[in-house]
Amino acid sequence: MFRRSPHACQTASQVQIRVDGIAVSVPDTLSVAAAVLQVHGWQGYRRHHDGSPRAPLCLMGSCHDCLITVDGQPNRQGCLVPVAEGMQVERQGGGRHD
Amino acid sequence: MIESRHADIAIIGAGPAGMAAAVRLAEAGVHPVLFDLNATPGGQIYRQLGNPQVGAGVMGEEYQHGRSLVEAFARADIDYRPLSRVWWIGRKGTGYDLGVVQHRAQSWHAERLILASGAMERGWPFPGWQLPGVMTAGAAQILLKQGALLPGVSPVLAGSGPLLYLLAWQYLQAGQPPALVLDLASASRYRALLRQPRRAWHGRNYLLKGVRMIAALRRAGVPVLLGVDGIQAEGREAVERVRYRHRGHWKTLPAALLLTHFGVVPEPQLARSLAIPHRWETGQQAFLPERSEVLAVEERLWVAGDGGGIGGAINAEREGRLAALEVLQSLAGKAQDGLARERAALQRARRRDLEARRLLETLFRLPGDWLEVQPEDTLVCRCESVSRGEVERAITQGAAGPNQLKAFTRCGMGPCQGRQCGESVARLLAHRTAQSMDAIGYYHIRPPVHSVTLGELAAQQET
Repeated sequence: MFRRSPHACQTASQVQIRVDGIAVSVPDTLSVAAAVLQVHGWQGYRRHHDGSPRAPLCLMGSCHDCLITVDGQPNRQGCLVPVAEGMQVERQGGGRHD
Repeated sequence: MIESRHADIAIIGAGPAGMAAAVRLAEAGVHPVLFDLNATPGGQIYRQLGNPQVGAGVMGEEYQHGRSLVEAFARADIDYRPLSRVWWIGRKGTGYDLGVVQHRAQSWHAERLILASGAMERGWPFPGWQLPGVMTAGAAQILLKQGALLPGVSPVLAGSGPLLYLLAWQYLQAGQPPALVLDLASASRYRALLRQPRRAWHGRNYLLKGVRMIAALRRAGVPVLLGVDGIQAEGREAVERVRYRHRGHWKTLPAALLLTHFGVVPEPQLARSLAIPHRWETGQQAFLPERSEVLAVEERLWVAGDGGGIGGAINAEREGRLAALEVLQSLAGKAQDGLARERAALQRARRRDLEARRLLETLFRLPGDWLEVQPEDTLVCRCESVSRGEVERAITQGAAGPNQLKAFTRCGMGPCQGRQCGESVARLLAHRTAQSMDAIGYYHIRPPVHSVTLGELAAQQET
């Protein structure tokens, strides 16, 4: 899991999003992938089509291992979508998503 | 279809190169359109610098250096379009057609184009690199910049390159030092460098910074092991153990997070999709687009910054400015006397910087036979879960090049489009068929070079 540093600058606003239906509050500077890593860590982030567990590798748009469902749209690159108030995020833990 | 929008000059990427190019053009009264993947300008290096989440004491001076550029970019008159994916480029007339998705699909025509797509972490297979709990050092830095996020457990840092030590040092400053740093570079490599006074002098700033960081880590009790030549991550649902080979012996350490770095390479997709000629550069161990002295790859197309070859953020800023000068000259249709001195100074500084850079390349040179000695079931292509053994069997069966290998094994056909496996596949082919990397080449890259949905493409946007 990743935690917010106690020495973080207090310049980010918080937004409320739902991750797998549960409301959480996260800084609005985060991407969806970063928010999930803060809330749940890398465990259980995603299951690949071959059944193997996966989680974000690069967070810069290249690896595509951060795929996640955002507001009902599956397979979004979680690292490229900023969090927004009221956003519904679902981890793709169930296997095939293509 | 709606009509495409017109731009005299389009820039792709809002990292140091793209920002500097845009700012320099705006200074001259030219207003480019700039497309960037991210929500805020800065690229990876200056991410979130407009609203920093971590203090300067943690991030170090390199991050702060970008401040004036980010501020100048915010002030300049630029048609800046964040969260924009340029998913295809085609040549049209004397310029380029662009397919862009910014919430919805747009088409653009640009008379001149600066590609400033930057770099990405090199895909570098080792057993278990697909497990949750393995992330790149770049990813860890992104979390730090984006939200002051630190790992809740002590990570193991492994690989090669200055970013590894920078991250270790930043974590130390933030009160979360790594458990262990595993450096592929050997102590003898560091010593050999000091015996090359000329090279050491050119790169003295890099050397000094590195030595200070390693010393700070050791003072804090963080073990730094040099000359590690094997790394493995093990676990069922996530990393549980890290194994590493040091001085001929494998050791095992319980760990939940392994942060790796094996250098950065140009993000290749847009340049490759235009079939721009590339060559393998042995110093950087990467395919680079072929550019002229003034960064041109075609009459009206320039590649600036790390997307053209790794030179670091300050060099990227210079290259952005240099590309802007070329654009100004191209717009004027003739040489601009007033720009000659500025161009010469930028080129001088660029040559000096790249000379210093060679020191890093020598020091952090990755072992050429790494992939061949990994266990056969090590994944090469993460997206399609293709192992080294499967790739090698396909080569034995006659797959003669990267594109045939794709057809044989599906490697490179997944959503990352070969970004993670392209280099590995070329390396395996070069080794097995005893050819050069240039003779092997790379995957044909076709649009879309970013993930776009049919829904996004169907929703054309009027303004």
